[in-house]
Amino acid sequence: MFMKTFEESWIAWVDGELSGEELAEFKASLPDISVAEMEKQEAFKLGNLLRERIGVRAMANGEFFQHQLLQEIEREAASASPRPETKARESWWSIGRLVWTGAASLALLSVFTFFVMREKTVGGRSAYLTQIIDARVDPAVSPNANISIFESKENKVTVVWVNGLQSLPSEYAAK
Amino acid sequence: MHTEATPAPAEKSDADLVQQCQAGDTAAFDQLVGRYRTRVFGMIYNMVHSEQDAWDLAQDSFLKAWKSIGRFRGQSSFYTWVYRIVMNVTIDWLRKKQVKGSGAEFDDAIQLKEIEPASRTAPKADALPHERMQDQEIRARIDAAIAQLSPEHRAVILMKEIDDMQYHEIAETLECSIGTVMSRLFYARKKLQNLLRDVYENI
Repeated sequence: MFMKTFEESWIAWVDGELSGEELAEFKASLPDISVAEMEKQEAFKLGNLLRERIGVRAMANGEFFQHQLLQEIEREAASASPRPETKARESWWSIGRLVWTGAASLALLSVFTFFVMREKTVGGRSAYLTQIIDARVDPAVSPNANISIFESKENKVTVVWVNGLQSLPSEYAAK
Repeated sequence: MHTEATPAPAEKSDADLVQQCQAGDTAAFDQLVGRYRTRVFGMIYNMVHSEQDAWDLAQDSFLKAWKSIGRFRGQSSFYTWVYRIVMNVTIDWLRKKQVKGSGAEFDDAIQLKEIEPASRTAPKADALPHERMQDQEIRARIDAAIAQLSPEHRAVILMKEIDDMQYHEIAETLECSIGTVMSRLFYARKKLQNLLRDVYENI
């Protein structure tokens, strides 16, 4: 046994765990072997006193002890039985729902952003421009009609250039 | 230290009962409790010096053992494993009690007639009244001396001197190194020698 401290060596010596070289080294390290031997004898006496006087305390009503313990175990089991279900549900709420909620929120945000942006774009145009852009001109009916749009966002100016206006239906005219 | 109760031929081993417990068999656990309740209770009583507290702590310890028996892998004996739980529960309780500053360590003097008949320390049935009184006084002195030790020192000296455990078993139970066990034993013995010298020198 490898000893590090004096306390460990002392205890091993008192309990008869030292032998050979270790024992010789330890004894040589003691300043007064006779005093140490006296203390060793005292440790024996103490050990004997404790062993003789401290008995094993008998448990009165041991059967009742076990009955009480089993009751407690059953009570705990009864209160814990719905726990696995709750736990499963809790874990779904905490992980599964987090994922689903996250995905749904993202989708809602995308849709919302799309509509808001679309609304903004549409709302930024004049009603006349919208009418012109949304108009469909059938080249077979009005082959000369064409529309060009020039937009300067910096100056907040949009120019709509319409050729062949005479061929456009009258309802395309600005109100 | 007896690490496992020797089962009678018809009785199941601790390992078998543990397996049954792990399958949820409370009757098997009841059998294990029956095997070790006295030793567990006795050790706790020697630590806390109160029958009621020892009862409650033994209940707590066995309940914790039941709850965590699924994690018991059989690397040590069942008793060593339970003992670890018992010591953790008891030392924690003693620490909390010390923090609260409760002064009364003893709630009842030892009743010698309650010592197990099989105990090696069982007194003679025909002890005279004055002898019984002297025995009680000595026991009270010992309890008072042990109560002056820290929970950890108390545990070490009781496991070594009363339960006859080896250093490595104590270390395993208290989850500390063998060196720590020996160091605690050194200081516990020194302190008890100082407190009880007149007792063991005069009997």
